[in-house]
Amino acid sequence: MAAASFGVLCRKALTGLKVSRSLISPQALASTGLLHTTLSRKGLEEFFDDPKNWGEEKVKSGASWTCQQLRNKSNEDLHKLWYVLLKERNMLLTLEQEAKRQKLPMPSPERLEKVIDSMDALDKVVQEREDALRLLQTGQEKARPGAWRRDIFGRIIWHKFKQWPIPWYLNKRYNRKRFFAMPYVERFVRLRLEKQARIEARKKSLEKKKEKFLQKKFPHLSEAQKSSLV
Amino acid sequence: MRVGPGYPLYQLGNPQLRVFRTNFFIQLVRPGTAQPEDTVQFRIPMEMTRVDLRNYLERIYNVPVAAVRTRVQHGSNRKRDYRNARVKKPDYKVAYVQLAHGQTFTFPDLFPEKEQSPDGSPGDEDIQDKLLEEQQRRQSRDPRRGGVPDWFGL
Repeated sequence: MAAASFGVLCRKALTGLKVSRSLISPQALASTGLLHTTLSRKGLEEFFDDPKNWGEEKVKSGASWTCQQLRNKSNEDLHKLWYVLLKERNMLLTLEQEAKRQKLPMPSPERLEKVIDSMDALDKVVQEREDALRLLQTGQEKARPGAWRRDIFGRIIWHKFKQWPIPWYLNKRYNRKRFFAMPYVERFVRLRLEKQARIEARKKSLEKKKEKFLQKKFPHLSEAQKSSLV
Repeated sequence: MRVGPGYPLYQLGNPQLRVFRTNFFIQLVRPGTAQPEDTVQFRIPMEMTRVDLRNYLERIYNVPVAAVRTRVQHGSNRKRDYRNARVKKPDYKVAYVQLAHGQTFTFPDLFPEKEQSPDGSPGDEDIQDKLLEEQQRRQSRDPRRGGVPDWFGL
């Protein structure tokens, strides 16, 4: 359902530009309520900044989009914003490469970081929405199927499944992978467990030592005293 | 399912793959050697194909594309750092795009020399002049010595 609506939105956004080339005029579209006003036909100029900014040392820009701001936007808005940010990012990458070529400093490189942060936040928000939808519709926690398996070293790992055109028992490459451990590996599994146990014991003893030291140095700030006072 | 680590599997009868939010970012670069007027040079991610680039430019940027040719540029692995470990420059794919309908494109000059306008920063220039005068005053010797250097006593 979401995929179909997404597809409709995608087609609308991408073919919005093509509509202008057809015989339908903007006035006719406005009457039907399907008017898209962002019909820019700049082409390769969009790979470059506003010509007024060429040669400037600094170019002012706003802050990046936060996750919370993006969560308030609809799917269609996020889709459009993704492509706006994509074009901005391409423009900044072009500028960066040209600056390296000319051996000159790029004006305001923090713009690129802001755009990348915004795009990551947008991706995170869309993933959250997709996860929620999938959980509600199918109950699956992960998009990509997988399983807990013991690998050849005796470790328990989450094996992610790959897409194959043939079943697993006919797959030579998959059958060469062994998801079992031979008996001589048990010794190493035990050694690994011992190592982990030692690391955790060291951490705990360090915490206790610090606690004891602080207790000795600041007896009046201990929690036991506070609870007794209350 | 994101089209990050490779495209999903396609079998006969599958629906057409539709990508809703591309993860591909391209850069227009100035050609190193002289190219024909209708040719534009791009650096694209390694996973992108010429068909992808054609669709990308036609749909997102509204640029009519006649032909696309690609090649992979090997990034050098020859340089070595202070511990003699090899330093790899990343590989990248270069695409040469020929525009349709007889359009031409020349890479613009993005760093033209701009003359400093006098109205822009009068305060800064005054401060700079004052600092220069102060420095010259400090450096110039006592006029009463008659041009004799400071090395001589008294």
